[in-house]
Order: sequence, then C-alpha cells, then structure tokens
Amino acid sequence: MPDTVTLLVNGEERSLEVEGRTLLVHALRDGLGLTGAHIGCDTSQCGACTVLLDGRAVKSCTVLAHQAEGRDVTTIEGLAPDGELHPIQRAFVEHHGLQCGFCTPGVILTAADLLSRGGSPSDEEIRHALRGNLCRCTGYQGIVESIRAVGAAS
Amino acid sequence: MSDTLGVARPRLDAPEKVTGATRFAADGYVHGLLHARPVLATEPHARIRGFDTDATLAVPGVVAVLSAADLPLAGTGTDRTSEPLAREEVVFAGQPVALVVAETEAAAEDGAELLVVDYEPLEAVVDVEAAMEPGAALARTVEDSDDEGGDLESVHGQVDKGQEDDAGEQLSGNVLDRVTREQGDVAAAFAASDAVVEATFRTPWVYQAYIEPQVCTAWLEPSGTLVVSTSTQGSFVTRRELARAFDLPLDRVRVIAEPLGGAFGGKFALVEPLAVGAALALQRPVRLVLTRSEDFAATNPASAQVTHLKVAARADGTLTAIEARMIVDRGTNAGWGVEGATSLLVAGPYRWQAHDLRGYGVQTNRFTFGAYRAPGAPTAAFALESLLDELARELDLDPIELRLKNAVVEGDVGVSGNPFPTIGAVEVLERLREHPLWAQRNSLPDGEAVGMAAGHWPGAMEPASAVCRVDADGTMTVVTSVADMSGVNSGFAVIAAAAFGLPPEQVRVVTADTASAPYAGASGGSKVTYTVGPAVIRAAEAAREKLLAAAAQELEIAPGDLEVVDGVVRAVGAPDRSMTVQEVASKALRFGGRYEPIEGHGGSAQTSGAPSVAAHLSHVRVDRQTGEVTVLRHVIAQDVGRALNPALVEGQMRGGAVQGIGWALFEQLDHDEDGRLLTGSFLDYAIPTAERVPEIDTLIVEVPAPDGPFGAKGIGEAPVVGAPAAVANAVARAAGTRLYELPMTPPRVWQALRS
Repeated sequence: MPDTVTLLVNGEERSLEVEGRTLLVHALRDGLGLTGAHIGCDTSQCGACTVLLDGRAVKSCTVLAHQAEGRDVTTIEGLAPDGELHPIQRAFVEHHGLQCGFCTPGVILTAADLLSRGGSPSDEEIRHALRGNLCRCTGYQGIVESIRAVGAAS
Repeated sequence: MSDTLGVARPRLDAPEKVTGATRFAADGYVHGLLHARPVLATEPHARIRGFDTDATLAVPGVVAVLSAADLPLAGTGTDRTSEPLAREEVVFAGQPVALVVAETEAAAEDGAELLVVDYEPLEAVVDVEAAMEPGAALARTVEDSDDEGGDLESVHGQVDKGQEDDAGEQLSGNVLDRVTREQGDVAAAFAASDAVVEATFRTPWVYQAYIEPQVCTAWLEPSGTLVVSTSTQGSFVTRRELARAFDLPLDRVRVIAEPLGGAFGGKFALVEPLAVGAALALQRPVRLVLTRSEDFAATNPASAQVTHLKVAARADGTLTAIEARMIVDRGTNAGWGVEGATSLLVAGPYRWQAHDLRGYGVQTNRFTFGAYRAPGAPTAAFALESLLDELARELDLDPIELRLKNAVVEGDVGVSGNPFPTIGAVEVLERLREHPLWAQRNSLPDGEAVGMAAGHWPGAMEPASAVCRVDADGTMTVVTSVADMSGVNSGFAVIAAAAFGLPPEQVRVVTADTASAPYAGASGGSKVTYTVGPAVIRAAEAAREKLLAAAAQELEIAPGDLEVVDGVVRAVGAPDRSMTVQEVASKALRFGGRYEPIEGHGGSAQTSGAPSVAAHLSHVRVDRQTGEVTVLRHVIAQDVGRALNPALVEGQMRGGAVQGIGWALFEQLDHDEDGRLLTGSFLDYAIPTAERVPEIDTLIVEVPAPDGPFGAKGIGEAPVVGAPAAVANAVARAAGTRLYELPMTPPRVWQALRS
C-alpha cells in the first residue's frame, strides 16, 4: 500500500506517495522529476544514481525512499542552488571530466563528499573514492584532474 | 581562424551534463506512458511450445503480454529488428521471448516474473570450433525465408569482403561466411625466412558496457506518425530499419536521437523494435528501459574469436609472409560478422611479401554479435603484435625498429589489394620511440616491464550534409542528424566558426530528428568528423556567401573585398569599414527585409579513406605470487590528422586505451557449458575502475588527411586497437612467459608462470 514520505530535497520539503519497496532513486526520478540521478545498473555497482544523504554520498538505489524520511537529500540539480555552477561542476567543465555525461552526476556527488572532508586529496585518494563509480568513456583521468583541481584550490 | 582550431575547449554539452539538466532517453515525461519488461529466454536453444499468461495478467496494472505473433511485424527475417521477440525458435539464453506491458514499471516487473514459458529444449551449439565440423548440430534450425535481411553492416565501416573461398574445406552449416585473401607464394616465403613464429590466440565475448542501458520510448501521434525517442547511434538507419520491419512509409516514422549515455557500437535498432511493436499493438505510448542484467544478457557484444597466426621475417627484420585462420563467433547474427574486417586488419599497418588470410563467421547459441569500438581490430592486433614481438626476440631486434622497418607509407598496397592513402604509421612509431619510458625499459625492477604495440583503423565513409543558420543575434546554429557519441558536436562548432569567421562561443550545434534533419549516416566507423565535418565547412561557407552578399550592399563594397573576422564583416585593408554579423543578420531576418537569410547547406561524399594509427607503451608489474597484473603507466601516440580540439582528442585516446586495458586484463562474458551466461552483471563482469588504471600519457601526432576537415581524421576507434597487445607484450617480458588468451586474469597468469 502506498503511503507518504517527506524528504528534504535540495533544501525544500517534498512529500510524495511511495510503496514500501520504492527505492530512493525511483522516488527522485519518477516522483519528483529529478532525472539527474541516473540508473545504470541493478546491482549497486555503477554509482550513476549517487546522491548526498545528510551530506554523505550514497547510491540511491541502495536506499529505500522510506529510509530517507525526514532526511536531507542533495541531488545534482541541487548542488548549486543559486543557478551558478558549483566549483566541482565548473572544474569538470574546464578539466574535461566528462564525455557522455551519464555517470557524471554520480561522480560529481561522490567528489563532493570526498572534498567536503577537507584537505587536498592525492590522486590515489581520489581514485580510491571513485571505486564505486563506473565511467566507460574517459579512462578516469579527466575526472581525477577535475577533482584534484578543486582540492588544490580549496 | 588560427586561434579557433587546435585549442582545448570544454565540450558544448558540458554545462548541462554537470548539472543534471541533460534529458537522456529514459528521462522524458510522456502522458499515458506504459512500461514494458522483456521476458528473456532461459534456454540457449529451444522451441517455444507456449505461454501461460494467467498469473501475469492477474497482476493489477498489467495491460498485456505480447509475444512475437502480437507484434505487427512485416516479414519473417531472423535479424533482431525483424524478429525482436523469438517467433518459435529460441537461439540464445537471454533472447527476448515476450513483453509484459503495464501501467507502472513495478507492475510490469511483477508480471514478467510470473510468466511461464514452455520450452522444448534443443541441442545447444556453444563451442565455436566444434560448431564448424561437418555434421555438427545447427545453432538455428528454422531457415531465414526473408530475403530482405537487415543491412546494419553498412553502418560500421567499409571493409572489403576478400575473395570467395575455394570451398574445398568441408564445413558445417553453422559456417555462415568464409573470407579468403591470398597473394604470393606463402609457403616459399616462409621457407626462405630466417625466423618463423606461430600461435593460436583466443579472445572472449566482450561487452560495450555503456553506462546508460539501452532504452527506447515509442508513441503514435494522432496524425498516425510513429515517434521513436531513443538512445541510438543513428536516427536515419533506425528509421530505415523500423520502416522495413513494420512495413511503414519512411515519412510515418520520426526518430529522435536523444543524448547518448555511451554506445561504442552497441546501440543500433536493438530495443527500438520492441518498444515500437508494443506501441503499435496497444496504440499507447510504451517505454522499454533495459535493466543492466537484461542489457548484459539480451544485447549484442563483440564476438569471441580464435586466431591461428603464423608470421615470418628475414634476419634484418623485413617481414615476409603472414598466414591466418580466424574463427569469429557470430552468435546468432546471420546478417554480418567481423571475419572480413579481422582477417584484413590482422596484417596491421605493415608491408608483407605474401599472405594467406582466412576468416570464418560461425553461428552459435550465444548472444547476437554486434559492433564494439573497432570491431575485429583489437583481437587481430593482439595476435599480430604478440608475434611481432616474438620475431623481434628471436632476431634480437628492437621491437619498435622491427615495426618501423615494415610500416606502410602512402601508396604501399595493403592486403586488401588497394594502396594505403596518407597514413602516419612511421610518424607515430618514431614519436613513441622518443618517450622516456621506452629508454627506461631495460632498467626496471624485477617483475616489471614495458611492452609496445601498434594498431590502426581504416575509417569509414558515407555521404552527409549539414545546415548552418545565423540568427538575428549573430549566433550560428549548426543542424545535423548526428548522434553525438564522442564529442563530435563540439568539433562541428569550431569547424563552423573557423569556416565562417565567428568566435566558437557563438556557435551552437543541434541534433535534429529525421523529420527535419539533413541526412547523415550513423555515428560509427570513426567517420563522423571526417564525413560530416566537410559538410559543415561547406554549409558555413554557403552561409558566409549570403552574409557577404548582404554586407556588400550595406557597405557598398564588393563581396570579394570583404572578410569575416571574429563576428565582424569588414573591408580587407580598411577594418574600420565594417558591420557585425549580428547587424547584417538582423537586417535580413525581418518583415520587409531585402536580403536572403544567412543560411547555408553543405554536403560531402568522401571517396578516399583516412586511416588512423595509434601505438602504445604499457608499463606493467606482474605479481609472481598471485598472478595479478598492474598497469603502472601507459603511453599512447596517435596520428589524428589535425586535432581540432586537443582536449577532446586526448579524451578519445585515453578512453580507448583504458577500454583496451579492460580487454587485456579484466573483461570476459563467460558461459557455462550449456550456454548460459555466468558473468551477466557488473558484479561478475569487471570493467576498469579508477583504482585499477593508471594515468595515460598522450602524444598527438598530426599527419593531415588531404580530404579531412582542416586535415582531421576519424580518431575514435584506433586508440583501442593496439592497447591489449601492448599490455600482453609487457606481461610477456615481465613474466618471462607469454599468454595467448585474453583477459590475462590472475589465475591465467599464475598458471603461465608455473608451466
């Protein structure tokens, strides 16, 4: 039976009807139209659906919508709420951190979690943090360079 | 112009992609949308006796269960477009046999799980070599009675088919195609050589692993037009295939190529017939988004291949003879295979005195073969470049020098019988030789080594056209039908800007649908920049003529005395007599205006190819205790003709090299002995992750293509070709023993170290 969950999504309180089995990614995409969270697999390997849950990167296919009740969800659409690009987004544009762009929102939100922990992560730390985000186009180097640039500037 | 081309610029679509604003094919809202879930065959080879649909239809929200007979298909062909659901004979485990269509994705999934399919199992043909033997069981028993077979081969590149075989060999009906290329006295050439090496190489089925699964949405407009919104590499080819399969007039099918979430050769009219068939049958909009597991099981990966190869050289390193017998597992693809391409490309970008090259396309009950970045080339290069290193070792020659001694130049006749056009094989090898890693190769710690290998891709051609339109604000819109698979739109922007005289920031590029777009072929074969690029130049030049005609009247200066620089039309030699492009355009585009709109159409029909060569250095470490191979550093040098946007060119080089490392070390679609897929998810099928690949050094070499746009060549496929071989050659040196099968997984390396 559907019932209501209330989430704080990109700073706004949003209520929607979900089934008990509804995953957070489906609630975001189908319930709220936030299609920046992409579905690339069904085994929680690819990371294309990564969002921030209370500031920490999670694969939104591993979280039930009900588990996010009352919690703070940031999607790629909400990373820079003022309409500007977030520094990480700007770095991905300038340092060629993407090609097809399907993995990109998840990669950027994983990077946001990593960089929020402070410091200037090494390439090894960046690559380790990205181990749950698959990219088939870039060979990862542009992604690593983008994240490194933000870390170095902070 | 000089500061427009050759400058690293962000992709045009980057801002939308980093903000989640890009609408991929699964993202759009459609009123009244139904969701389809395919039911996949659990048997590799069987006859369908029937379906029990009662439980499925009892699920609330399920609208219909569709089998092949329910789809309004026109013909009886057995290609995947003509037969999107198995009619009576299942030919691989994973083949779609039914669609469950429901009001929600969840209901469709629940319904699909409850569908019962009654199979009568048939003998499965799983071993490709056994399948060739006379008397072997056949992988398909129902004959294809439809002569109007699919024609998807034409979109993947021009590789000549070789000579017809002498047919002296006794082979089973599973052998669908034999290709033979012979020239010179091969036996005599081997006998007269100083070193002869031979081996058998094996490569598995490999998956494209685009991160966006295959997806399509189809609906009927009230007018009766079928609209297909899809993740495809080619809108016009998809329109043609759908019109053929469902017997519709071309103008009743409108295909929209949505932004591609990766494709690499795999997205060609595979899921579209399922969504379209359901939409036509039910007269409702239908979306099919494959799950990743379905995408693994039901789509069209690269063929497994067995290559017997023998090559020889004289003591000075001159290559003499090459003999190959290459067995390509097509799975169920009766329409085309890579036996032609791989038996051509196995000769590499090298001169030979005599050759005997044979390719065999064999059907089995595994998948349906499809294209994957440089189809047939990485497997060929793995075999050839491994044996070239063996020759170098036997003759005590430097591996790069051996290749340089034999590298083709323009005019050399290849094994195709045709002369090579402009080709940068020598330049690429020379550039690679200068990289410091090559000099360091003899002073590495134990267990580490550097290997090298080269590879090339011949490129492809297809007529194409483009439109350039200048708006009243002075910006230009380039319109093509091209599905932007690799960043080509960003290339078109600088091409148009340079040809017209605008800053690149004032050019946008639109992919229009088949209802309105100028024609271009599918994105594949590394042909888009090479063929559509010249069309964009001509369209921009045609628009520029309109601009100059109008400006000439406004400025009272002859068009021939005007130039366009950075968005300003000005008199040559008197730059103060000028108008902006915006001023001219706004005078044309208004009621009562006196000038033709500033627009142009341009076309191209290339007739000479532009092959691209890439060569690699791979530095690996082999763990003797575990057999694990780590790539520590990797270098790629590639001839790209002209790097229109070096940042995007390097992206293609790095991405291709890393996919090649995947071929080398990680990737294989494994079946059990009965033909059921064992590695059908990203849990079981490993693609390179950020932690398991190194930085890739890129060396851009520019040997201009005479007919390329500003000299550019198609570059997307060449970077993957030689990469697996380079890793293999490095492993052979580091381990002291060679592996002849990909991927070089720890168990295989461990075994090789102990044998």
